[in-house]
Amino acid sequence: MSRSNLILLALIACIAALPMFGGAYALRLGTIACMYAILALSWNVVGGLAGYPSFATAAFFGLGAYIGGVLLARGMPLAAAVPIAGIGSFLVAALLGAALLRLRGHYFAIASLSLIEVFREVVNNATDLTGGGMGLNIPLSASAGVMADATFFFYAMWSLLLVTAVMVMAVSLSKLGFGLSCIRQNETAANMVGLNTTLYKSIAFGLSACFVGSAGGIYAAWVHYIDPSDVFDILYSVKPIVMALIGGLGSPLGVTVGAFVYLGLEEVVWRNYIQIHSGVLGIIIVLLLLFLPHGLMSVGSWRWRRGMKNA
Amino acid sequence: MFAAQILINALVLGCLYACIAIGFSLVWGVLNVINLIHGSFIVLGAYLAWSLYQGFHVSPWYALVIAAPLFFVFGYVIQRIVLNRVITAPVLVTLTMTFGLDLILNNAMIYYFKADYRKLTLKPPMGSVSIFDVVVPVDRLVATIAALALTGILYLILRRLRVGRAIVAVRLDRDAAVLMGVDVNAIYAIAFGLGTALAGCAGVLMALIFPISPLTSTAYLGKAFVVCVLGGLGSVSGALAGGVLLALIEGVGSAMFGPAHATTLSFVLLIVFLILRPQGLLGRKGFE
Amino acid sequence: MARSLPLYARLSRSLVVAAAVALSASAAFAQDVIKFGAPLPLTGPLAPEAIKQQQGYDLWAEQVNKAGGISVGGKKYKVEIVYSDYQSNTPRAVQATEQMITQDGVNFMFSPFGSGAAKAASSLSERYKMPTIASTASSPQVYDQGYKYLFGTFTPNDTLTTPLTKIVKAKAPNVKKVAILARNDLFPLAIAQEMEKSAKANGLDVVYFEKYAIGTLDHSATLSQIKSLAPQWIFVTGYINDLLLVRKQMSDQEIKADVVSMIAGPAYQEFIDAAGPSGENISSAAWWHPAAKYDGKDIFGTTANYVKLFREKYKSDPDYAQASASVSGALFQMAIEKAGTLDKEKVRDALAATDVMTFWGPVRFGPTGQINSLEPPVFQLQGGKAIVLSPDIIKQGEFKLGVN
Repeated sequence: MSRSNLILLALIACIAALPMFGGAYALRLGTIACMYAILALSWNVVGGLAGYPSFATAAFFGLGAYIGGVLLARGMPLAAAVPIAGIGSFLVAALLGAALLRLRGHYFAIASLSLIEVFREVVNNATDLTGGGMGLNIPLSASAGVMADATFFFYAMWSLLLVTAVMVMAVSLSKLGFGLSCIRQNETAANMVGLNTTLYKSIAFGLSACFVGSAGGIYAAWVHYIDPSDVFDILYSVKPIVMALIGGLGSPLGVTVGAFVYLGLEEVVWRNYIQIHSGVLGIIIVLLLLFLPHGLMSVGSWRWRRGMKNA
Repeated sequence: MFAAQILINALVLGCLYACIAIGFSLVWGVLNVINLIHGSFIVLGAYLAWSLYQGFHVSPWYALVIAAPLFFVFGYVIQRIVLNRVITAPVLVTLTMTFGLDLILNNAMIYYFKADYRKLTLKPPMGSVSIFDVVVPVDRLVATIAALALTGILYLILRRLRVGRAIVAVRLDRDAAVLMGVDVNAIYAIAFGLGTALAGCAGVLMALIFPISPLTSTAYLGKAFVVCVLGGLGSVSGALAGGVLLALIEGVGSAMFGPAHATTLSFVLLIVFLILRPQGLLGRKGFE
Repeated sequence: MARSLPLYARLSRSLVVAAAVALSASAAFAQDVIKFGAPLPLTGPLAPEAIKQQQGYDLWAEQVNKAGGISVGGKKYKVEIVYSDYQSNTPRAVQATEQMITQDGVNFMFSPFGSGAAKAASSLSERYKMPTIASTASSPQVYDQGYKYLFGTFTPNDTLTTPLTKIVKAKAPNVKKVAILARNDLFPLAIAQEMEKSAKANGLDVVYFEKYAIGTLDHSATLSQIKSLAPQWIFVTGYINDLLLVRKQMSDQEIKADVVSMIAGPAYQEFIDAAGPSGENISSAAWWHPAAKYDGKDIFGTTANYVKLFREKYKSDPDYAQASASVSGALFQMAIEKAGTLDKEKVRDALAATDVMTFWGPVRFGPTGQINSLEPPVFQLQGGKAIVLSPDIIKQGEFKLGVN
């Protein structure tokens, strides 16, 4: 196991101590931080390792939120609803991936963006099941108080982050990870040496959707009200990419650090600039891309960038 | 009669869609950049028309003439100062860059114009004409003609002018164009300026028809996506074909399945098109 | 030992006193203002609504502070409203609510916009025992969660559609077929469903009921279809932009009907201005109307005075959204003054016991916290002005048929 992976695990372990120090609001931020890290790490499997510019994160986040939400609303316990949301997202993504991942570059980007629209409208129109535009109410589990709830959902999201990080590490060390790197560097060649690229890409797409969908499920239980425009928000697709760019594409540690830094920036900007925070965020994104194109973890990032160019 | 009405509606709306998409298509085709600011440019154009009409009683037709050079310069400058620095970067970087720029422009518009809806109401209203019970609103008709004229002008620029031929050359083969002595960076900036000018003009025309607010930018952008993919990238005739096709799908779809499903249908079709015919109806296969 | 004890005692007592003085001084300093938290959707799809809410809250705060503040047990407190932008995103509204309660230390809360966000945020109000007024939440489901700290100024949606149907039924006997077109969004869809129920209950034939997606740019196909069904009553829900577009495309296609109702467009001055002559005879209903004539005991007094103050500040007419925000503030003010303390539980009890006339109308909260004393007006645009048709006490004119 490489040094950066060990640091990542240590970092995640440190976060687990948050409930000892922070109040309810700190725990809320901590939960969001874990969620962002899950989204960014998952995106990294397809966007970083395989080099496909995916904007589908929001689609699977919303899908997972609605699978989880509908099941929870019908009385299923969280412990069952979240895995089902994850597995459901995995299957849908793997199947779609087999078709969509034949596209490259801009075409793939557009197709993955369109998935958000399609999923959102499908959910929007399934009014009987999802409540459509009126949103879906998820009954509160018997509440044990502010802190108990906050701590519970923090640990739920944190555990999922841990699982996601382990998955990402396992993938990058496995044959799958090697195959994805080959695809990123030269897909045609990978195909020619007998790599089943379609299978590899589908699994990668499925894995990247699986944990995003599970996070969506936990999220639905946590906020207990979701509506289509909230969870199928294109920002959930763009944010992980910005986080990965902040941290440096490809490395799980960089991506996770990027997620935390991004959340910090977002919180500070959001608090201090009520009217213009999204503009300030835009300026940060532009400046970042202009002056820090390799991300904070510049180590080894050239390799990734070159890889990305070939995609 | 109902079918004829649906058909006419679609034809008129399709030309407006083409007008929305044409600048986007040009930028994507030539610069290989998915320009997410496009929707906000259109809204800015609509605000320009609105301000000129409310403040100085300048009719939207003259506003077109004012908008074109203003937006050209605006686009040219953005390309030169910001986008050009990342133009060779991977899709991800250019896309995120335009996303960031869009956040800035959209937030600036919300801040300056406020988010409430404005409407440019011509006095007196233009009314509508009817032929055998088929009704066509005059303002849409005029906007359609103007949209066709704009696409025609772009077509002429690309075919007849030296700079236009250079743009086409860069689009077809960047490296060969460099070898032929074309200043690619200048061409990029001109193409982006042209795309922005087209977006601004489209905005002026849309101001006649749709309520104006910074919030509508994503709707315009979404239409531009679909039109481009359906029609094929970077080609003028492709945008027209794509626009009409999209309007037809939406019209027939909403008559058959209800309006809520019309958008879904168009995006499903977009994905199917991407997979089966990524070059679009009329386009050549574009960039990877 | 025996002698030193009093010394210790004295010392510690004086320390305690000093600390108490310091504390109360700082507390008094901090408590010279009462902070109200108001999360607003300043960006994103709901942004136009945020402006209205902010105008309503600001006007109230300005009036209170001009009058010296809210008096609590003989002492005057200034009002400060803490805003934040939740980006039209419900979870962010919840986050903003928690941030305001735990970080900004607000004394009282206003709910975020609409039923969905208000409901999501209400669980926090309950957990932190924070008296909260929802100024834009109408769904009974927001209030029937058994929460004690949530109050709302909107009656349920059917109180808008039922009187409207009654008037149409009485004045337009020709109306048999209804077409309903709804924006697929929380409030517009909910009200359309109420309309469908109320139409069916009154023996009308609902020949068309469809939703359109948020951000729809063109309704021509839908309207052509409605035209071919020839309904006598066309009922459309949506926000201003949707309704303006639908109205424009209706006249483009020369669609005529005995009755055209739109919710919530005609309640807004922007709609009336932009629709111009094409708005003539469009009917609507809302929770409040500036033409109402109530003689309130709140800081604004009469409805006419509220409208005057609003015009002076914003150079436009208020609609129900702004008025609801203002009355929410005024209700807090009266409850705090009656409770004579800033204690959250006491203010909550005072709110629950509210029974007062305001410029908004009579205010009493039902057992769930939702207002149950209000009779929303039905009105119609006639000659470029909204004319109230019901309830009878503020009626200004008769219902007119025919929208061309």
